[in-house]
Amino acid sequence: MSARDPGSRGRHTTLFLLRNAPVLLFIVLLAAFGMMSGRFLTVTNFVNIFIQAAHIGIIAIGMTFVLLIGGIDLSIGANMYIVAAVLGLYLKDLPLVVSFPLVTLIGLAFGAVNAWFITRLRVAAFITTLSTLFVGRGIALYFSGNKMVGFSPEVLSLGRASYLGVPSAIWAFAIVFIVAFVTLSQTTFGRQIYAVGADADAAGKAGINVRRIVFSVYCIAGVCAAIGGLVSLSQVAVASSTFGFQKEFPVIAATVLGGTSLFGGRGGVLGTVFGAVLIQTVENGLVMTDADPYLYPLVISVIIFIAVFVDSTRTSILERLERRQIRVERA
Amino acid sequence: MDVNAAPFFTAQGLCKSFFGVQVLHDMAFSLRPGQVLGLVGENGSGKSTTMNIVGGVLPMDAGRMTIDGAEYRPRSPGEAEARGIAFIHQELNLFRNLSVAENLFIAGFPKLIKGLPFIDRAKVRARTQELLAAVDLDVAPNTPVSRLSQGERQLVEIAKALGANARIMIFDEPTTSLTTRETDRLFDIIGRLQRQGIAIIYISHILGDVMRLCDDIVVLRDGHLVGSAAKADMTIEKMITLMVGRTIDQMFPPRDPPVTLGGPVLEVRGLSQRGMVKDINLSLRAGEVLGISGLMGAGRSELARILFGMDPFESGEVSIGGTKVAALSPAACMDHGMAFLTEDRRAEGLMMEASIADNVALASLPKFGTTWARFIERTRLGDEVTRVSKAVQINARDLQRTLVKNLSGGNQQKAVIGKWLLHHPRVFILDEPTRGIDVGAKYEVYKIVNQLAAGGAGVLFISSEIEELTGMCDRILVMAHGEIRAEFPRTDFDREAILRAAMWHGLKESA
Amino acid sequence: MAPSGAAELARPRRSLAVRLLVSEYLVLALTAVYFVVMWLLVPAIATADTLLDILAAMMPLLVVSIGQTFVLIVAGIDLAAPSILAAASVVGASMMTGEGGFALFTGVPILVGIIAFLGMGLFIGLLNGICTTRLNMPPFIVTLSTMMFFSGFALFYTSALTDDGSSFGDLPSAFVAIGQGTVHGVPYSLGVAAVVMLVAHVTLSRTVFGQWLYAIGRNPRAAAISGVPVKRAVMWAFIISGLCGGVASILYTGRLETGTPVLGQRILLDIVGAAVIGGVSLFGGKGRVTWTLYGVLFLSVVDKGLQLLGLDLASVFAIKGLVILCAAVLDAVRHRLMLRG
Repeated sequence: MSARDPGSRGRHTTLFLLRNAPVLLFIVLLAAFGMMSGRFLTVTNFVNIFIQAAHIGIIAIGMTFVLLIGGIDLSIGANMYIVAAVLGLYLKDLPLVVSFPLVTLIGLAFGAVNAWFITRLRVAAFITTLSTLFVGRGIALYFSGNKMVGFSPEVLSLGRASYLGVPSAIWAFAIVFIVAFVTLSQTTFGRQIYAVGADADAAGKAGINVRRIVFSVYCIAGVCAAIGGLVSLSQVAVASSTFGFQKEFPVIAATVLGGTSLFGGRGGVLGTVFGAVLIQTVENGLVMTDADPYLYPLVISVIIFIAVFVDSTRTSILERLERRQIRVERA
Repeated sequence: MDVNAAPFFTAQGLCKSFFGVQVLHDMAFSLRPGQVLGLVGENGSGKSTTMNIVGGVLPMDAGRMTIDGAEYRPRSPGEAEARGIAFIHQELNLFRNLSVAENLFIAGFPKLIKGLPFIDRAKVRARTQELLAAVDLDVAPNTPVSRLSQGERQLVEIAKALGANARIMIFDEPTTSLTTRETDRLFDIIGRLQRQGIAIIYISHILGDVMRLCDDIVVLRDGHLVGSAAKADMTIEKMITLMVGRTIDQMFPPRDPPVTLGGPVLEVRGLSQRGMVKDINLSLRAGEVLGISGLMGAGRSELARILFGMDPFESGEVSIGGTKVAALSPAACMDHGMAFLTEDRRAEGLMMEASIADNVALASLPKFGTTWARFIERTRLGDEVTRVSKAVQINARDLQRTLVKNLSGGNQQKAVIGKWLLHHPRVFILDEPTRGIDVGAKYEVYKIVNQLAAGGAGVLFISSEIEELTGMCDRILVMAHGEIRAEFPRTDFDREAILRAAMWHGLKESA
Repeated sequence: MAPSGAAELARPRRSLAVRLLVSEYLVLALTAVYFVVMWLLVPAIATADTLLDILAAMMPLLVVSIGQTFVLIVAGIDLAAPSILAAASVVGASMMTGEGGFALFTGVPILVGIIAFLGMGLFIGLLNGICTTRLNMPPFIVTLSTMMFFSGFALFYTSALTDDGSSFGDLPSAFVAIGQGTVHGVPYSLGVAAVVMLVAHVTLSRTVFGQWLYAIGRNPRAAAISGVPVKRAVMWAFIISGLCGGVASILYTGRLETGTPVLGQRILLDIVGAAVIGGVSLFGGKGRVTWTLYGVLFLSVVDKGLQLLGLDLASVFAIKGLVILCAAVLDAVRHRLMLRG
């Protein structure tokens, strides 16, 4: 086995920096924005960042499950819009305790349709969810007649409500995160997701019901898209015909930024939360520092790029260092 | 262990056909508790089919299996496992991203509270420690599998089978990627399993191991059972005769060492790379077959990869065909007439989803595209591919249509060799060229190596099988711990001396 | 051998339907079926004008999808394609717009403009290529971030340099003709696309470089060991995709008569979808220019048919999605049929 050279303190420092690169990047950003705007480093502002990050974060948690098995779900934006349209158009008069679970079931059903095509008909996930993206949005646009959808006042007051001093969006974010975290790390189902993502064939041979796992993760992504959609519309209380449009990009970006691999088997929801909050922090910081709104996407994409670049460099350096060595060199 | 105990598992009249072609005829065998049954035969003789039927991977067309007298007809690997049959696959089915403990229980973890899905981590840890102790593996339960060596991973597989209360364990080529020490440890463990009354089915091409390990040996050929005897009534020569259906007088084609060797085609001076190899000096001459022996992990493959420009080196120099090559890369090495047959033909040697012709052509494409836009001369390329494929005797109906993944291991290896022959190498590095291929195909690979050397190429022949090296080479270098430790000319070949040189440092080295 | 002979006899002759299903012309056949059905519903679809319109409209998509095919063959993906269209469109148009174009002083603004289009494509393709091959980053993420960056860049550029902040108008008529003009009724754009298609087809099927791309897609490690310059070839695949984006942007911009940052904003999924429907694999090593052509033709005919039916946006979305899904299901079924041998 390899013996680390004792004399290379410099390399240790590099390693430490690399291991914690995303966090360091985060701290640098906080410091930079903090210096530029006095309003940035305040508790109120951080609460705001979390509220704004909540819906992307929740959907990205669902996406994490899908990416962990090596799949992808491009249809989440359409799913969000269906949920919004049905809630605003047909369930307006029901109390929220009834209508919210009902539309979450619609999200689940949407996910189940994806899952059915992927597991039963063996259509590639990319194509399946690409098609359901069109179909889903088309159906919802048909419902809404391409018009703005409004919601009952309770939706908005729920969005503004706080419980125990914590805003409702953050409650939703936290609950989804905790459930997802415990599921992935502390249940058989969660560990089997990692196994399927690493090698689906081997998982089948090991007696894991691969089809059930794959089916479930798309359902989870559907449910998370619905919940994320609800959190999002409770902030704004109206949904235009582009509600959720192209949300798949920031969601996938947040997930990958959090260290989840697109190839399956590696990652987790803690990182995803970090990724979602990081993106929102940048956006918030840009608002606070009165940057030109046209620059937002430029800055955010550069940050994502740097984070992923550092991550991939780190992975390859760590791989090289952890490689088995044959000889133990004596100095 | 009671040798006279009655069989608890029987299989009779097993038949299996694929696409109307019968690949298994009336296979029959039985197992007593604690018996080790060796299963030998060439690739495609029906060993894997038999084991896939027993392991629940394939359904049988006809026949009957029983366990303790009760009918056994598994429909899935899971069902086989539930009936106490565990399959230790050649390509180990462990999840590198999970810990050892998680791998052992991935099919179903013990629950913290009945009815709730939460894993009882403490119980998992305790049970894992128990199972790892049973196979003498001293690692923490939460070690990621990616950190384990190939041999350690195999022990984890065995622990997993123990955890599932297996009564029969099927080993498919378990030693192909193990070091000698790991192999010895594996055999110790198998002996221990045997004493616990677990029956073992042991499949291997390494007949010496089969003789050493097994109580009874079953030989298959072309899907037929052609021999079945207790160890006492079996010899390696007899096994080979049964396997190939004819007597092979020698396992190696005659090799008359050339009277005069040509000039050096590959010269290496003081080649070092930290943690890999140290101060390698060697000279390979035209027409020479130079063997490199050593234990797994002695640095043989690492040396080969550095020589072919796939891994970097820190100091030293390499001359190919008399020219010093400063920056080694596969392309640069190929330009100087070097070829390299990798030890991992699935991952690095072949495009499994492509045709034989595409695979054979791959390394030589620029030679057939010399015009301004590098259009490929397809007729000339096709003719050359056909010629080479004939020369290496690839058995396939249609070179353009047959996908490499549908070929046997031996034919796949010939396709890789064909790829390099088309390139007309002057220096050919072969890293474990006969791994996982059957006796007949091995013989053909040896013949090709001889032809190459006779044609004036220098061959660097890396192998773990000392017999193969002494049979094939003009000279053997022995590596240990990243250095060349000894050199034997053909006149001094001595199996024991070579092994001792290889172990010289290996004995002191700790795992 | 007796058993194998019996097997040959025992294998049933395949029906025409099954043979069509496993052939590479399936998508073409589906297009024809769809066309016939549409013809019955709206006879107008079969007029020469409509057909020419379909052809002219599909050419930019075809060119950019061909570029995508190169990247898909090496098992990559180029999500930046739409942003290449947009960025090239605004930068190129800003050179030659009558409202103070940067290159007006040169006297050959169209030439400079076209160079700017291609230059943007080349630059973004090169950037994607460098990041994937030299920095070892996954193509999905690299091109996702360049997509976000250059889409944003196009908007920023336009807002900073135009009065209304939305587009560059007043383009020279000779330039607009590239996208709109015809010779004897045949659109110029058809000629441009035909040349791109021919060159791409010959490159992929007949040259060493093309074979290298397939080899990289099938097994990059085996390709590298066999002397294939993997990094260089992958880099070129991205550059080709970028250049195709530049050419497609010329055609689109000419068609629309304005350089606009929203160009191509919604067609990313069409680009990748067309290639994949045609049979190009997302996992690399499998794809042909003709397959991409079939996929583009299919999507374009479907679009036009729905448009002629006078359906609203909602129905077009839903039906288009369903049609893609059906094509994908058929593809999955046929894949299983082929496995059965």
